[in-house]
Amino acid sequence: MKKGLRWKVILVVGATALAIYLAYPPAQKINLGLDLQGGIHLVLQVVTEDAITIETDQEITRLHDQLKKKDVTYKTIVKGKLGQLSIQGILSDQEGKLRDLLDESFKDWDYTLISDAATLTIKPGVQQYLKEQSVTQALETIRNRVDQFGVAEPTIQRQGLAGDRIIIELPGVDDPERVKNLIKTTAILEWKLVKAGPAPDEQTLLAPYGGTLSGDAEVVRGDPKRTEGGYYLLDRVAVVTGKDLRNVRRSVDEWNSPAVSFSLYPEGGRRFEKLTAENIGNSIAIMLDKRVISAPRVEDRIPAASGGIIRGRFTAEEAEDLVVVLRAGALPASIKYLEERTIGPSLGADSIRKGLVSCIVALLLVMGFMVFYYRLSGVNAVVALVLNIVLLAGALGYFKATLTLPGIAGVILTIGMAVDANVLIFERIREELLAGKSILNSIATGFSRAFSAILDSNLTTIISAIFLFQFGTGPVKGYAVTLIIGIAASMFTAVFVSRLIFDLTVTKKKKREKMSI
Amino acid sequence: MLQIFKKTNINFMKYKYIAFGLSGVIIVAGIINIAFGKGLKPGIDFSGGTLIRIMLKSPVDVGEVRQALSEQDLGGSVIQEVGKEKREYIIRTTQAAKGDRRAGEEEIEAHEIMGTKVIEALKSAEDTVALGQGKIDLNNAGRKEIAFVLEPAFPDTAEELASQIISLRVERGVIESFSVLKEPGLADEVISRLEEKTFLGSLTVLSKETVGPQVGKDLRRKATQATIWALLGMLVYIALRFKLSYGVSSILTLTHDVLVTLSIFSFANREINLPVIAAVLTIVGYSLNDTIVIFDRVRDNLKLMRKHSFEEILNVSVNQTLSRSIITSGTVFLTVIALYFFGGEVINDFAFTMLIGVISGSYSTIYQSCPIVYFWQKIFKTKKGLRR
Repeated sequence: MKKGLRWKVILVVGATALAIYLAYPPAQKINLGLDLQGGIHLVLQVVTEDAITIETDQEITRLHDQLKKKDVTYKTIVKGKLGQLSIQGILSDQEGKLRDLLDESFKDWDYTLISDAATLTIKPGVQQYLKEQSVTQALETIRNRVDQFGVAEPTIQRQGLAGDRIIIELPGVDDPERVKNLIKTTAILEWKLVKAGPAPDEQTLLAPYGGTLSGDAEVVRGDPKRTEGGYYLLDRVAVVTGKDLRNVRRSVDEWNSPAVSFSLYPEGGRRFEKLTAENIGNSIAIMLDKRVISAPRVEDRIPAASGGIIRGRFTAEEAEDLVVVLRAGALPASIKYLEERTIGPSLGADSIRKGLVSCIVALLLVMGFMVFYYRLSGVNAVVALVLNIVLLAGALGYFKATLTLPGIAGVILTIGMAVDANVLIFERIREELLAGKSILNSIATGFSRAFSAILDSNLTTIISAIFLFQFGTGPVKGYAVTLIIGIAASMFTAVFVSRLIFDLTVTKKKKREKMSI
Repeated sequence: MLQIFKKTNINFMKYKYIAFGLSGVIIVAGIINIAFGKGLKPGIDFSGGTLIRIMLKSPVDVGEVRQALSEQDLGGSVIQEVGKEKREYIIRTTQAAKGDRRAGEEEIEAHEIMGTKVIEALKSAEDTVALGQGKIDLNNAGRKEIAFVLEPAFPDTAEELASQIISLRVERGVIESFSVLKEPGLADEVISRLEEKTFLGSLTVLSKETVGPQVGKDLRRKATQATIWALLGMLVYIALRFKLSYGVSSILTLTHDVLVTLSIFSFANREINLPVIAAVLTIVGYSLNDTIVIFDRVRDNLKLMRKHSFEEILNVSVNQTLSRSIITSGTVFLTVIALYFFGGEVINDFAFTMLIGVISGSYSTIYQSCPIVYFWQKIFKTKKGLRR
């Protein structure tokens, strides 16, 4: 064997061994996309405006306090557009005092004073910060929830660096609806004193109060799944909230139904104790995301340290999920789903089966044709093709690329396109042979003259695959990746490896015989 | 030596007007159909909506499925039967739930409600009764839920048993009867416990996809951009490697392929979804592949056949590369055929698009690309060489 050839053989064998090592066993080394192993793909948007609204609400309370403290007389504070509020009915001689107050304690706000009203707007930079913060927090909260729920290898990431969209991919989940609800629940838990209710509708509820709602109260619906439904009249201010929770656990109530038990931090516990002590015989509503989930009657004072339980006609699962979301904390803003794709595991398994079958059928068809048409040279092409697929698998393993169903389609197309280079070369060799050149000479010319066409034609397919990769989402990206790798690998196998096989098998001794092509 | 084509000498250029005519008819018919006829049907990826794929415990006629859906005011759904057992259906709805529809952004919620409604509509009355009795649905319950039911009777093996049941379900899609559970070797006591505490729901949801209008719009924009950019990329590449006339001809040929594919698609009553766009872009790259091989040969022949006319050179080049063109299109065609017949429903639209594209691509390479270069040369009277 010539020295140059030996090195080439070592290179090819080495590359093959490396590819096999990288891809074997495929079950562990090759990532399967959600469409093959089943799972959930979610795109959601954080309603960042919520963060501004919450900030505005909090600032209104602070503003009331401060104005009172500094003895500024005013009529009322009203919320305007998003991130805007105005103080109305200011006496003209108190303008200076107000300006001082706003300059000193409300630095995050721009304000304008026109006659007796002051309009305050959150500074754009601060708004940006609040929005940004809400996405980061939402990301963190969702990650916590998913971790607590126990999903293996979740992907949770922001779409783009500054966007308000979050992409969640949860492979192998067998109960998608449950996880979706788990992520979506805002999980704001509040304890509020019940003034009246439940009543079948708002009118009946408000009738004893002359049909109007006073400023310190609100009407809240009972969650139809958890309570008898109907409407409750509650204190506007929550005495205890989810932030006061020290710990929550799944447990059962005295009738052995699933429930959630909780304990509170000392400060919240003291407020809870005071509330229960003052309201024996009254009801306290437990609200989750602005819906009453239960409104137990207070039988006795509950000491700060003892905590309590939350009932709400839970199933065992629901109780467990509530524990998860309460532990992970509330979302800073509500979220909405823009896109959701749930693929059941059995459809995924079916896709893998069908993908494999069509892969094998395609391989057999192409191999059969090549051997039938090009005889021994066809066998050469078949060897190159098999090697191509091995290299493709190795590259998928190395790049940790995800194999999707369109990705499998990409592999199948690669099978068809990879032999293209062989066909180009073989056809050239045939032409040279027909022109009366010797076998060795024909092989050499065939390879060298076909090369520019092979390069050009493969590059264009790669270029369009790159655009596809840019635009594609999950499965389509997987397709682009396998196509790019497959075609790149085919350049190596069809040009380099095929040539090597010819060099090894067609020796000078045989040159007088006819070439099998 | 086995040859499909002996040395051919077909005057392809002679048929250029017929070829232009044929392509023109297909494309114009497609445009008319898209603009005034049935149009291109965007799938839920682009229009927004819900796609649900279900598997039923026992066969149900497509008529009954339609009946059940229209009773729930879901008559606008598209129902597609998968396989021949009358047990698998794909249901698409672009309707949003009435009343729940607020501003456009909330639409996904409405779509989702519709999805749930579709599933509810197809469940049988027995399911509702069993659920009312507090039983869980073995065909839809998660691993933890099943384990929870088994735990009191089999505290040590509950998790493992649940996993066995789930993997059986993954394999079969839906569990038809409790006796099927004997197959993986579940003990009779386990099965009787399951019979007592669970029921076999009449359907299982294989997949459910909901796309909101916002995402649909984004994807539409991205798909159009990607196609246009890919075409421009090709133009630049060819213009750099060859001459502008060849680049323009390639792009016209590719555009031809895309239009022919879309035209046939509009008649085939299939929906455009993401994989279809992927197939179209692949065709853009692949069809060019063929064209380049011919141009490459033209480049060679221009040097060898200095005395011949340009038309002759084009003809000879097409003839010389003919067997190669047919064979490689043939091998790709074989693989796409395999995908079309064995790849399953999910990838079928992709395979169909590729099928048209491969045929159109190899036809256009021979009958479109060379004539276009020829006319360009004739009109602009550029020099015969391939390099500038």
